[in-house]
Amino acid sequence: MDAVILNGISKSFGDVRAVGNLSVRVPQGSIYGFLGPNGAGKTTTLRMIMDIIRPDSGHIELLGNRSIKNARGRVGYMPEERGLYRKMTVANVLAYFGAIKGLSSREAAERVPRWLSRVKLGETAGKKVEELSRGMHQKLQFAVTAINEPELLILDEPFSGLDPLNTDLLKSIILEMRDEGKTVIFSTHVMHEAERLCDFILLINKGQAILDDRLTGIQARYKSGAVRLEAEGDTGFIERLPMVAAVKPEDKGLEVSLTGGGDPQELLRALVDRLRVNRFEVKVPSLHEIFVKLIGSDNAEDS
Amino acid sequence: MQKILKIAQREFVETAKTKTFILGLVMGPVIIIAIIFFTSLASDGKTGARPPVNVLITDLSSQVFAEGDNSTFHDYNKSNPNRQIQISKLAAGPDPNAAAEEGKDSLRKGRCHAYVVLDEGIVQNEGKIRIYTYKPKPREIDIIGTVRYLLREAVRNQRYEAQNLSAELVNKLQDVQIEQIEVGPDDTDRVQSQADTGAKFMIPFAFMFLVYLGMVGTGQHLISSVIEEKGSRIIEVLLSAVSPFELMAGKIVGLAGVGLAIVGVWAAVAYVMAAWHDVSIEITAELMLYLVVYYILGFLLFSSFFAGAGSICNTIKETQGLMMPIMMVVIVPMISWWKLVQNPDGTLARALSFVPPLTSMVMVLRISAGSDIWIGEILGSIALLAATVVLAMWAAAKVFRTGILMYGKRPALREVFRWLREG
Repeated sequence: MDAVILNGISKSFGDVRAVGNLSVRVPQGSIYGFLGPNGAGKTTTLRMIMDIIRPDSGHIELLGNRSIKNARGRVGYMPEERGLYRKMTVANVLAYFGAIKGLSSREAAERVPRWLSRVKLGETAGKKVEELSRGMHQKLQFAVTAINEPELLILDEPFSGLDPLNTDLLKSIILEMRDEGKTVIFSTHVMHEAERLCDFILLINKGQAILDDRLTGIQARYKSGAVRLEAEGDTGFIERLPMVAAVKPEDKGLEVSLTGGGDPQELLRALVDRLRVNRFEVKVPSLHEIFVKLIGSDNAEDS
Repeated sequence: MQKILKIAQREFVETAKTKTFILGLVMGPVIIIAIIFFTSLASDGKTGARPPVNVLITDLSSQVFAEGDNSTFHDYNKSNPNRQIQISKLAAGPDPNAAAEEGKDSLRKGRCHAYVVLDEGIVQNEGKIRIYTYKPKPREIDIIGTVRYLLREAVRNQRYEAQNLSAELVNKLQDVQIEQIEVGPDDTDRVQSQADTGAKFMIPFAFMFLVYLGMVGTGQHLISSVIEEKGSRIIEVLLSAVSPFELMAGKIVGLAGVGLAIVGVWAAVAYVMAAWHDVSIEITAELMLYLVVYYILGFLLFSSFFAGAGSICNTIKETQGLMMPIMMVVIVPMISWWKLVQNPDGTLARALSFVPPLTSMVMVLRISAGSDIWIGEILGSIALLAATVVLAMWAAAKVFRTGILMYGKRPALREVFRWLREG
């Protein structure tokens, strides 16, 4: 079953077409990355899923419902523009958002401390929100999103403003939630975050879907046919092997490009007889490379 | 519904913690008490000290101030040692006009506070008393009034004497004691004091003011609450959990509680103060019912306006431009309340009753002023007001939904009307 179905949705703001005829199916229990440069239409798409703005045309299905009203309690949304009541305490803010998402006060009493310790904010429960640092604020915002333990999490740029430690904490929580069978959609323009987290990738640019597939499928489709190699001995002969198109030095080793039908296994077999191979890696194209290749380097804002 | 109540609860609790709210709650009663305190002080204040007042007198009759003094002024000065009125005479001489010019001149030079000319035939009911003043200060006006009263007394006493009447006897004959008694439903007859008569006029105003306060004063809280959520970008987080309508409804319900708390405290303090000063306030069940109905409808009308206005603005400052017109309208019954109380069935009162933003205030004023309003007029005004409320809520919900996510420049009103049409 699909958690979210977008069927030909379009949205324009004045003369600007933010999203054009976009169709996506997000399978249940997956992590789906919405990637694209700034202004590609990621936030607009997520807002339309949340019924915060309405599409000009097309329709959206959420957890099997045509109307968000029936599904709102089962979804957690963390917007790109985020804020919390600055004068309230951390625990009160979390309990309040839990309550308006339909938690009973008994459930809230149990979940608020649990989620605060899960995002490592247990110590700050009695502090006012305005006393928190930016990173802590961000983690609290995530806890607010997840407090009702929704079936579907929609996160708009969840890692912006977080240090590597907190980024890893958030990623591990997202993976845990996926393993519990929950669906996660998040948007980012930082490619390597998506690479380490996503099962599926949707690449959008100027409101159009450019790529929509499993991460593994994308990597297979755009594989470069190259091998990274580190070995001891005379490597001069490699150039003359039949399956090799070109060799160029790279860092401590070599990057070997194969011919069209060249099999990396054949190459390895040929090498082990004559060299001591320390490292042999079939090169997988990074999303960054695919991104740049498809959209053009002048569009890439970040790697 | 659960969500609306949750939002309302937070709105109430957080507003109740703000300084503005606490100030509003405390300041009102403090002002009421202060006014009552100072009014009673001012009425006793006649005995308070003030510098002596100089009055220059030209007595053309040569009878009233024959000996350079007068027994009426003499008695006054004796019983008010702190508030002396000093009389000095300016002789008329052969030309009365020359004396008058001299008197006016010393007025201009500040040598006296008032210059008085008594005509020659004043004791024979011919001519008059002229009191000249030059740029009197506001605090001197009261004193001039006293001088005027004393002059009249002095001339009257002189007239009695001329008629061979005893001043004492005439005063005795004039003294008629009257007591006005209002009969209660049981044995609780009460003597009406001056204060009761004053209260008859003030109470309708007090009720109207409470309605005004509950509607408009609470609006400030509503606007600042909406602006805060917009400014700190909480709106989108909230909208992922509740619909815009639920959010708006929750806020309005919460602030209705805030308004009731303030109005309740004020009304209670006013009631206690009135009872303490022995002023009877009679509130019938009928009046209470109308008060509540008109208050709730008026509150809803203003709240939807404030919610809509708050949602399209980014700062409190921006909202002020939008508030101006509505404030100008609301000020009308505040200015004309005296006319409305005296003539609660007049054309002005009836016309204003059917201007929806004013209906609540004017109708509460009219009903509590004891006017026998035809029931059809009451029901008609309620129906018109209720219809306006429905329309305003519908429009506010639409504007709120779009406006609340808009940042940057405040949209022009033309564009807001477009949202209403498209919705």
